[in-house]
Order: sequence, then structure tokens, then C-alpha cells
Amino acid sequence: MAVTVILPGSLKDWFDGTDEVSCRPDTLGKCFEDLAARYPVFASKLYDEQGNISNLLIFVNGDNAAKGKWLATPLADGDEVGIIPLAAGG
Amino acid sequence: MIIDDPNSHFIFLFHPNIYSGEKYTIYNGKEMTNAQVMEYWGKWLVLARRERLDELAAKLDRFVEARLIPCIKYDRRPSQNLGMEECVMMVYCDFRKRDQVWTLLKKQGVKLKAWVTEKETMQLWMPGSPLLERWMESKGLDGPTKELVREDAGRRLKHIMENPDEIFSPWEQ
Repeated sequence: MAVTVILPGSLKDWFDGTDEVSCRPDTLGKCFEDLAARYPVFASKLYDEQGNISNLLIFVNGDNAAKGKWLATPLADGDEVGIIPLAAGG
Repeated sequence: MIIDDPNSHFIFLFHPNIYSGEKYTIYNGKEMTNAQVMEYWGKWLVLARRERLDELAAKLDRFVEARLIPCIKYDRRPSQNLGMEECVMMVYCDFRKRDQVWTLLKKQGVKLKAWVTEKETMQLWMPGSPLLERWMESKGLDGPTKELVREDAGRRLKHIMENPDEIFSPWEQ
């Protein structure tokens, strides 16, 4: 098993046209590193000019992960990560 | 009941009793206080094209009528001024009933699971937040007007925080 990452249609272009990708269970940070290595467009969009992830909302099993040291959030087999644009949360 | 007023950016789904003054921020038959809303209220987010959300709204309306979902709103068009390419549907409910509501959404084919609390939403729109600043910029507001908007947002949030036992009043949309 693996971690499933689910994207809305508007972010499919970041992942070669697919709305579902997977990464190995580790931490959210490692998952993003893995995805950034495989999907260059995602890598170029992930960070803002200050090097922060400020334009996205990240969910782990439905809950907003962007609290505290969120990149250290552990991911287990079968977990689901959702990524949406920040503005969708308003 | 689907309320589709072309003059509004949002399309709403409410129980018809909203017109007789019934609030939708209710838990176990009691109107929720500001403190309860801050602790428990939130929404599932669904991002999709407008046509898909229209279809979804038509299917979810019966759950709103049956009071299984307190209310729903979704964009008439993508908020391009905020960089959005898709419309967003917000399916509101109490945290204690969110799993029940998620089951209804999943049965309609919603895959991406994204829960945002009311508290998190307010933090996204608090004075100085990137979202509020981007929205004001997109509206072309001048400096003094921006400051008025920041003050108003700050005043509303302060009122909610300082009056925890007051019955919650939703913001005008």
C-alpha cells in the first residue's frame, strides 16, 4: 500500500494531467519531496517567493495539516492527502 | 431549497424554514453560540466545474430538506480574482456530524476530503492575512478603503471572541 494524494481538476496540470498520485508512507515533507522530484511543475509551484508553502491548503485524511510543524506530519499506509489552492478555503 | 439569485456570487441550499427566521447553526435543536461555532462549526470543501456542482447540489438538496445537511453554498463562477480556476462548494455542518455528512458526499462521488473549521476560515480572512489582502487588491480598493475593510474584519472577529455566549449570527454574503 501507499499514501494516496488527491488533487482537484485545477491542479491536474501540476501532476502530468492526473488527479491522483501516490507517495511512500513517511512524513508529509518527504512525500512532497518525492512528488517534487517526479513532477517538475508541482516543484515549481509548491513554494512561494519566500520559500514557504503559502498558496495551498493540505489535508491529511480530511483534516487541515497546516498547523505547527506540519511537514513532519507522519503518513501511514492507506492515508489520503488532499491538496487544494488556499483561496478555496475562504 | 436551492436559492439561485443571479445577483449573488453564491448559490445557496437552505431548509425553507430559513425564511421564518430559523438559523442553520443549530445542534440538537439549539442555536449555537459564538464559542460553540468556533469549536465545532466547519465545512467540507468540494472543488469542481460549475456544471458538476449544479448536479451535486440537485442531489444534495433532499438532504438539506431533511436537515441532514444544515446548509450549502457554492460559487456561481470561479473566483478568478483569488486565482481560482474551479468553483468551490462549501457543505457546512457541525464537526460532530461531519462523518455522516462526508458519507453522503462520498456516495455522490466526492473524492478529495477537505474539512476546514470556521475558526480556520476566519484566520484566513483576518486583517493582514494573504487572502484578505489579495481580495482587496483584486477589487482595486484604495489605501483608506483597505484600512476600513481590515478594521471591519478585525471588529467582527473581536466581537465573536469577546462574546462567546452570544448566539452566533452568520455574516452577510
